[in-house]
Amino acid sequence: MSPSTLAPIAFPDVTLPESARRLRAEVRAFVDEERARGTVLGRPDSWLAGWDPGFSRRLAERGWVGMALPTEYGGAGRGFLERYVVIEELLAAGAPVSAHWVSDRQAGPSVLQHGTEEQRRFFLPRIAAGQCFFSIGMSEKSSGSDLASVATRAEHTADGWRLTGTKMWTGGAHVNDYAIVLARTDDTEDRHAGLSQFIVDLRAPGVRVEPIHLMSGEHRFNACHLEGVDVPDGMLLGRRGDGWKQVTGELAFERSGPERYLSTFPLLVSLLRELERRPATAEQLTRIGILTARLHSIRRLSLGVAAALDAGAAPDAQAALVKDLGTRLEVALVDTVRGILPTPADPHATPGSHPELLAFALLHSPGYTLRGGTNEILRGIITRGLEQH
Amino acid sequence: MNTHTIDTSTPVISADDYGTSAFFADPDAIAVVTNTTAPDAVPLPSPDAATAGLLAAAQEAGFRAVPAPLAETALVARPLLRRAGLPAPDGFLSYAIAPELTVRYARPAASSVGSAGCLGDDDTLLVTGTLRRVPWARAATAVVVLATAPSGPVLFTLTPGRAALTPGGNLAGEPRDDLHLAALEIPASQVRRISPELLDEARLRAALARSALIAGAAERCVGLTVAHTTARTQFGRPLSRFQAVKQEEARLVEETALVRTAVQAAAAPLDTGGAAARFAVAAAKTQTSASAAEIARIAHQLHGAIGITRLHPLHLATTRLWSWRDEDGDETYWARRLARPLTATALWPTLTTTP
Repeated sequence: MSPSTLAPIAFPDVTLPESARRLRAEVRAFVDEERARGTVLGRPDSWLAGWDPGFSRRLAERGWVGMALPTEYGGAGRGFLERYVVIEELLAAGAPVSAHWVSDRQAGPSVLQHGTEEQRRFFLPRIAAGQCFFSIGMSEKSSGSDLASVATRAEHTADGWRLTGTKMWTGGAHVNDYAIVLARTDDTEDRHAGLSQFIVDLRAPGVRVEPIHLMSGEHRFNACHLEGVDVPDGMLLGRRGDGWKQVTGELAFERSGPERYLSTFPLLVSLLRELERRPATAEQLTRIGILTARLHSIRRLSLGVAAALDAGAAPDAQAALVKDLGTRLEVALVDTVRGILPTPADPHATPGSHPELLAFALLHSPGYTLRGGTNEILRGIITRGLEQH
Repeated sequence: MNTHTIDTSTPVISADDYGTSAFFADPDAIAVVTNTTAPDAVPLPSPDAATAGLLAAAQEAGFRAVPAPLAETALVARPLLRRAGLPAPDGFLSYAIAPELTVRYARPAASSVGSAGCLGDDDTLLVTGTLRRVPWARAATAVVVLATAPSGPVLFTLTPGRAALTPGGNLAGEPRDDLHLAALEIPASQVRRISPELLDEARLRAALARSALIAGAAERCVGLTVAHTTARTQFGRPLSRFQAVKQEEARLVEETALVRTAVQAAAAPLDTGGAAARFAVAAAKTQTSASAAEIARIAHQLHGAIGITRLHPLHLATTRLWSWRDEDGDETYWARRLARPLTATALWPTLTTTP
């Protein structure tokens, strides 16, 4: 191809290793077992809403939590693409993966990369065993897209740090063990400097967790008040003042995975199940085909980012691109499914029935294009990426 | 593969010469273009190139709005001839998938009367009917025709000069000619009986070639749009500095990335064939055709008035997008084909067949 405007945000083509093929079959067998057990229910948005620590532990027994962590820290030492296969299988099946989600996706890799040896030895084996669940403490009331404006402070004390402030949208803080908290440690001219990350024990004195109920009534998020929480020195994650760099360095991992386009996939499966009762019309087939082609194409882009990450690249613009395309598809899928088979969404219908799943996916849908960076911000990252010739 | 390095900062071809119907009406002009040694020419890839290489060449042709049936020759006609066991004539080729043609054996064998007609003592055919909107027929050395004979599917080559030609064109002015055949005799040496699978492969090849062209034209839209929003200043700053412009530009880039990857994802399955090829190609043409409207819309919106004129090369890409999305099956046709085998249990395994 000729020198291209798109060259700075190229997507490598991907071939999954043979080991990934075998792994996929193993995960499918495991999912079938769990389905028979009644734990895998084909629900949308299961990485946010499917909280089942028992499932997480059984998954960990197979070596599929923290699976990319090195074996010396209790991980499985598997590749990033192998992890991708496991994650996409679980999400497509609507398996309850939210308990270990953050510890697997963020906390583990973060502790491995930035943590001290002591932190690694303590946290990583517990994460990989599905026995240590994390929350993220980044956003605040006045710090959403503009994360560098966080006001939570960490004052240095004689034997550590004292954290004061309120984190918002702290998913699972009421049930998890730890949170990685971004706080200001130093007042600096450059507001991106002076931020640091801490591992905060969510059961420590001074931590007060206040529920924030979603419009569906679900309790997933919290305001996490840190009212003078003492954090030992050993729980500073990475270097003092490097918090911004550490946080932004992981965004490509967070933005490009299968959870950015599969959140509503189980609803499409439910639709196809409904349609099996009668022959689909040509118009229904058309809309299903168009949706499926887009899913397939976005999956390939997402896999391309995974391959780039596996090769050690930093595909930030590509990841932003996948998230914008993928989460817009998640939203559009709900509306398209509704149009293909007109069904009133009913949150009180039998759990797992099509009208109930539709209601669930719909009530969650405004969040898809917000979490992990609003899509408007992401598009700015994409155009900036083009300029890096 | 033998490609040139090209400076994309200058208009790739002198677009407006090629964009006029007068130009396309003149077969000699096309011959000049295709024989050109100009540095911006896209060479016809070797018949031995791998599918991924052929797709890259087709994308390049789409990007440059190459006024010749490069993708049609390299990705459709030549591989089909090879699969059918016929030699490929030199030069540019075209194809027509025409099950509606009336095909009879010219020398019926008395012993072979069947429900569909008579088989022949040899495979010489008598063909009647119209091949509609054949790409570049007037400029092609030969057209590879797939039709149904009394014996089943056949493939034969046709020299366009032997048929009555009604010139036609698509929105971009590319030739789409009707060829009228009235009991035209096709010598047995030019005819091969083929499997139904090869007939379907022809559809897949044509759709994927067209998809690759679309991906190239989409990429041209991105290139031209970014160049324009960077260079054009209003209210004292480049258009690319406006948030509203960035938002649209990002969507253009996204949609184009999607189209490109859909094409790329079909390269390996096309070679292996079977259900994987049917899925990946159907997905590619569905996606490329479905994305064409949004890509053209954003590119034009961000170009402003200059983009809707022949003063600017944008129309070379967008008129092709609007035509190519309909050709070789539009998104409705391919989406239905894609969806028909899908069930609740088959959906996910189908999506994960590759890579």
